[in-house]
Amino acid sequence: MSRPGLANACAAMLRRDLTLAWRRRGDIAMPVLYALIVTMLFPFALGPEDTLLQRIAGGVVLVTILLAMLLALDAMFSSDIEDGSLEQLVLAPQPLALMLAVKILAHWLTTALPLIVISPLLAGMLHLPTAVMPVLVLALLLSTPMLSLLGAILVALTAGTRRSGMLLALMLLPLCVPVVIFAAGAVAASQQGLPWLAPIAWLGAALVLLLVLAPLACAAALRIALDA
Amino acid sequence: MTAAPTAATDNVILLETRELGFYRQDEPVFASLNFRLRSGELGLIEGDNGSGKTTLMRILAGLLHVDEGELYWHGQPLQREHCVGEVLFLGHQLGLKADLSPSENLQVAVGLHGYRAQTTLSAALAEVGLSGYDDEPVRRLSAGQKKRAALARLVLLPATLWLLDEPYANLDRTGIALVNRLLEEHLARDGAALVTSHGAVSFHGGEPQRIRMHA
Repeated sequence: MSRPGLANACAAMLRRDLTLAWRRRGDIAMPVLYALIVTMLFPFALGPEDTLLQRIAGGVVLVTILLAMLLALDAMFSSDIEDGSLEQLVLAPQPLALMLAVKILAHWLTTALPLIVISPLLAGMLHLPTAVMPVLVLALLLSTPMLSLLGAILVALTAGTRRSGMLLALMLLPLCVPVVIFAAGAVAASQQGLPWLAPIAWLGAALVLLLVLAPLACAAALRIALDA
Repeated sequence: MTAAPTAATDNVILLETRELGFYRQDEPVFASLNFRLRSGELGLIEGDNGSGKTTLMRILAGLLHVDEGELYWHGQPLQREHCVGEVLFLGHQLGLKADLSPSENLQVAVGLHGYRAQTTLSAALAEVGLSGYDDEPVRRLSAGQKKRAALARLVLLPATLWLLDEPYANLDRTGIALVNRLLEEHLARDGAALVTSHGAVSFHGGEPQRIRMHA
């Protein structure tokens, strides 16, 4: 018998999750449309005043994308638990944390990446200056993986509980506060012509930490969820 | 609990339980379960509904913790790292993705476990009678065909010990014969298998070891 290498196993998992997402591509469009509509509501509610919208644009786009990601979060492991795929994954001769990291990556690619792609459009609707756009996209590229990783831990912890969606939001949103502060801080600094590298560097450092720890925490939490 | 001696007494003991017990809210699901499973041997787990057959399977697979007693794998106390990849578990939940075709599902399994020597994906699908369903998502298959798609893992993946929870459920007569044939081939390769079943098992190899569950 031949044991497949880690690269093969990761590729198989990634291909599986991306194929599944592609078969249900309507679900990918849902958070994108949600973010679009929520952003559209702000000018209606606050009035089309340039200076006001410009000032809040960065924060609104960040929070909207955070909420849109929350919508798709509880599906991360639920179908795998229901159909027994997770049991098979736990029993496979591969490191579970790494396999879960691949699953989180696939989830980020299918939910967060489309949102990042439309983020300049969202920001443009709120008159964010074009010069600030790259900083916004950079802040999103670093903060959205953190939300996926933090979310994955909580989804794994609440796996097996019924109606976990609301509980998940209540647990995740407080944890996102630092992420939002640094990401919005970078955008605001760039808007005022100040150096914005420091908050971005903080986001990067926190992302590295989470990249290492979150899959391990997920693996432990899911093993506990199955042991019941 | 009884463990009748079987034909394969000279083979290595793969799995051994000593005074194994499991509790749910301090109520015993089963208690003092002792049996030895040798390579080339089939264990048939018998018991009424709720007697803990599935629980036992999940403990042996390493999904549930051991409450009481000890588990030995090749004579060593069982640890997950030792038997990983050697155990193949087929439970009530088949572990198939409904949106993927049978062959796509098997590709993932092979990606994680690897191939057994001299097997190919198409041959495995043909063996379980699903060769014409390559592009059909699993959700459109019947319950029996889904079961067959999961059984293809037995043909394809390398493993020493098979844990099959109700492998005959939903299968027609040829499907039942298929499971029996797969089991016979596996035992002939010096593998071992534990099977739970309500129905009669007409097994053509040696007499299976009967393991009776009771609280």
